[in-house]
Amino acid sequence: MADDRWLDRVTDVLQEPVRLDPSFDERVMAAIGEGLPDAVTPLRPRYRPLLVSPLGGFALAAAVLTGILVGRSWLAPVIEPAPTSVTAVQAVPPSAVQFVIVVPGAESVSLVGDFNDWNRTATPMRRAPGDGVWSVSIPLTEGRYRYAFLVDGGRWVTDPSAPRALDDDFGPPNSVVTVGAS
Amino acid sequence: MRIVLGVTALLVLTAAADRLAAQEPRLEGRLAGPSREAVEALLDSARVIGLPVEPLVDRALEGSSKGASEGRIVAAVERLFGELRDASAALGQQSAPEEITAGASALRAGAAATDLEGLRQARPGESVTVEAAVLADLVAVGVPVDRAVAAVLALSDVADDADYIAFRSNVERDVALGASPVAALGVRLDAMAAEALTGGRPSADTGPRKP
Repeated sequence: MADDRWLDRVTDVLQEPVRLDPSFDERVMAAIGEGLPDAVTPLRPRYRPLLVSPLGGFALAAAVLTGILVGRSWLAPVIEPAPTSVTAVQAVPPSAVQFVIVVPGAESVSLVGDFNDWNRTATPMRRAPGDGVWSVSIPLTEGRYRYAFLVDGGRWVTDPSAPRALDDDFGPPNSVVTVGAS
Repeated sequence: MRIVLGVTALLVLTAAADRLAAQEPRLEGRLAGPSREAVEALLDSARVIGLPVEPLVDRALEGSSKGASEGRIVAAVERLFGELRDASAALGQQSAPEEITAGASALRAGAAATDLEGLRQARPGESVTVEAAVLADLVAVGVPVDRAVAAVLALSDVADDADYIAFRSNVERDVALGASPVAALGVRLDAMAAEALTGGRPSADTGPRKP
């Protein structure tokens, strides 16, 4: 029983709040501040003059330019082209146009024209069953296209079933196909 | 001073990059230096005044593919540039590229700028691509220009694009069989007028078709 009372007194003493000196906080903060390195304490911004040599400026310009060009190439597919016409017929799905020519004995025949950048090898024609019948179908949108057949890589031949183009500027004549919107 | 030099270098490089970006890549390897520069200058001019660039590029590529001399290629592109400019002026600045291209073909065939203006007035708000192309094609088979213009204008109220193409094909077939171009034109024009009066119209084929 006596032991219990003694234990209660000890507990009461330990639970009393500790009274500190009012200047304790200031002294602690001062002690912390004295231990910091000089490089940390000043937080003032520093300004340095930018000195660029001509060669360095050129390199900087090249770097910025490279960034611009790369940015352009990334952005290019995203940018929608502006409409080029107000009165034009709206975009129409391409029509399949079949080209056929009979060239007996030919080893190869290509279709070459405005629609394939006059590329001699872009549109080879297929030899259909029969004697020298060559054909190919390509999609074309509305417009007037000039073309010719290139036989065996060196002989230009017009389409006998199509109109001749009057605007032949380079000797071998061309044929014309006109694709309408309707 | 050094910063100014750097900024100047940046501006020069940017201008050079813009010039390179405007160049037509399909001409690379197809035309030599001076000729390519001359064609590129025409392409730049076409872009500035709103002319279609594609037919000019096609003409240069055609010349290259056919082995024409560089001077001949440049001359052909210059001539086409002039025709496109005249066609655009006659058809209107807002005309579609394919309209201007077909109009240039009609001018090459001998049509006058006033003829193109007549086509535009006959079909306001509609494409005149096929009409101008058929006009050029009729002249190509021997129809006099004035007759071809009159026929195309006469059909403008009753024919659509498919009708125009069928009309042109029929005239060509008749000429190939021995008819005179003027006679073939008259017969087919009468037939079209009769079809319009009876309400009959040629059906448009949606499948693959011959030129």
